[in-house]
Amino acid sequence: MRAVLKNGIAVFSPQGFLDGSVGNSILSIDDINATIAQNSDMVLVSLKKVIFFNRNGLDAFVKMFIKVRTANHITVGFCDYDTKKYEAIVRFYKNDLVFSLFKTQEIATLFSSNYKNKIKNILLYNEDKSQRSAMAIELHDNGHNPIIAQTEDEFHEKSKAENAYDIIITETFLGQMGQKVATRVTGNAIIYTVSSFLDAEIGNTFNIAYHNNSLNVGFRLFIFDTYKVISMNVHALNFFSKLSTSGAEYNATICFVGMSFDKTPQSFKETLEDAGIIFFNQMDDILQDKGMLKELGASSAANIKDKRIINKGTVTELPNFIDATVGTIEMMTNSKAIKDAVQINKIDIKNSKNMIASSIGFYGDMDGMVILVFPTEIAKKACELLIGEETDDKELILDTLAELVNIVGGKVKMLLGDEHISVDITLPRTYPDITSLIEIVQEKKGVQVDLSFNNDKFLFFLTR
Amino acid sequence: MITKEQINNFIDKVPPSPKALKETIMHLANGDLVKAAAVAKEDKALNTYLKVLVNKPIYGFRNEVSDVSQIFGILGVNQSQQAVYNYMLTLLSPSKWKLFKLNRVVFYNLQADLSMNWKKILNYLNIEDKDTLCSISLLPASIIVSEALFCEKIKDINLLRSVNHIDLNTVLQRLTDIDLFDICEMIALKWEMPQEIISIIQASSGVKPAENENINQLGKWMHLLLFYTLSQAKYIEAELNDFIDFQIDYVSDIYDDFSKVMEIS
Repeated sequence: MRAVLKNGIAVFSPQGFLDGSVGNSILSIDDINATIAQNSDMVLVSLKKVIFFNRNGLDAFVKMFIKVRTANHITVGFCDYDTKKYEAIVRFYKNDLVFSLFKTQEIATLFSSNYKNKIKNILLYNEDKSQRSAMAIELHDNGHNPIIAQTEDEFHEKSKAENAYDIIITETFLGQMGQKVATRVTGNAIIYTVSSFLDAEIGNTFNIAYHNNSLNVGFRLFIFDTYKVISMNVHALNFFSKLSTSGAEYNATICFVGMSFDKTPQSFKETLEDAGIIFFNQMDDILQDKGMLKELGASSAANIKDKRIINKGTVTELPNFIDATVGTIEMMTNSKAIKDAVQINKIDIKNSKNMIASSIGFYGDMDGMVILVFPTEIAKKACELLIGEETDDKELILDTLAELVNIVGGKVKMLLGDEHISVDITLPRTYPDITSLIEIVQEKKGVQVDLSFNNDKFLFFLTR
Repeated sequence: MITKEQINNFIDKVPPSPKALKETIMHLANGDLVKAAAVAKEDKALNTYLKVLVNKPIYGFRNEVSDVSQIFGILGVNQSQQAVYNYMLTLLSPSKWKLFKLNRVVFYNLQADLSMNWKKILNYLNIEDKDTLCSISLLPASIIVSEALFCEKIKDINLLRSVNHIDLNTVLQRLTDIDLFDICEMIALKWEMPQEIISIIQASSGVKPAENENINQLGKWMHLLLFYTLSQAKYIEAELNDFIDFQIDYVSDIYDDFSKVMEIS
């Protein structure tokens, strides 16, 4: 069984009955290794479609949790259960709850570092005081407004208030949370959260591929939330100095917010400042100061120093990229996709009204970025198989378009793999309008292919 | 990926039920085991299949049973007819499975597991109707149809399912407006199977409740039995566990009774 990866969260969805007879059948060693390699921020097992389980049945997943946690230091746990199932899990693993429990997947996403939705007002209750506090801290760190009910009565009383809370959290338990360097996108800035002791391990836990891809797609401001850092050693100092120096060629800025130098030599601060890192006391000093944000390059991604151009190697593989795109559209729409025109130039979008886009990066033996631009209505048609119902929910359409581009990326990886070119793909990114896309690619030259299916036109752009 | 035309081609290729089988079923329908066995003996493949099927441990016979008359005698009219329908279905199954990690032995085991547990359920529900007993034979047709339609699209399906939890039945339905259970119905019609069987199978999809409450209840039991069976290690390994979506809400009202029948604790 394989997990589905969406927004950085890998979810397994077993069905039916989970008992001892399941053993290792449900998760092979390959499945576990594939989960580790997915490099997700959270791994969940949804119990939504499980009607019966016992401890032996869950153990197969708990073993996987332990392996994934050890390898990737991320949050792992079960989700999507009712009261009966929650009580059963707590009873089975009373003294051994090393994983988390989230009543729904939506609740789990609130604790994920990749959480990208708006700030939520959250009512939460857990009978264990330390759990209540831990949850509130995590939620607060992720930018939400948690309100803690101290007693069950208070919880029932507060939860009666209509429309007072976006989400109510109960029957949720935080096991060991992930200690991976978490990434969170705020506007055009990326926030990384680091904590406790920063040492050589930062080189393993920091997702350098994600960082490099973020640079490549136009992010210029990287903020390290260091409120919870106790101290830093020379290995971490070197790591951050190098990170800042290497980002300089993109005109990128790295900031540290809330760093205390009580237990870290003051000279480290000077070294980091020499490397170009800027220090702030409070997060709001940057995020609430629009002038500062603009100055640091966060509001515009256009000031790219290193204008990388599309090279021969990438163009040679163009047929694979086109095949992957055409193949995916044909698979999703059951209709023939046709290539209309090809040109090498900067992206040229004739009518940018009501257009949306999605991109996916690839890196490895070769690197670059595939961008698909659709009129919103055509995107809906292209994603009909995945959406399954009529909708005008733009967020859902964008999310589904990201899934479509993810499939294109998967096909690209497969087709290039057949030619012994090894690439990895990044998470897809979506653009709700063309302005946000143009900020990223206006200076980039690439191959533009106008495509159509059922006379519905869309645009493919391959660049670096 | 899959078009209506491909589905029509598949249905066109479904062979009509062989004459010997038709006659065997007709004699069984009339309750004449002797004549049914005499006709069945003419079909060597049916003989072998019945022998393999009834000697599986789940049937619980101490000594090997090998003669068709003996097999029909032990099974009785209703179960004999069910076994013959099971055999008919194997005529559709591929010699080599690509989408699912199945082989002939595992597929026969699946048929036997479903058949015996369905009988247990009908005993619990005090239902002795022959067509209701035989309806379970058609259920694995959904697996065979999935294999036939998707086996050349394995990479596409895997890519699609790596980004979205979507089952094969939904993929087919969204692409063609026809789902796996509609195709099972087409097969059943071609084989002139009774309407009752078709109605139960449609309800067992879990997404198309029947208007007739009795049929609907049987559909729920069959849906739950399918997932109870597909939760066994050997079928999980065959990657059958999630080829269709388990509709947990559809079966929630019969779960307690089901767990009693299956002795789940």
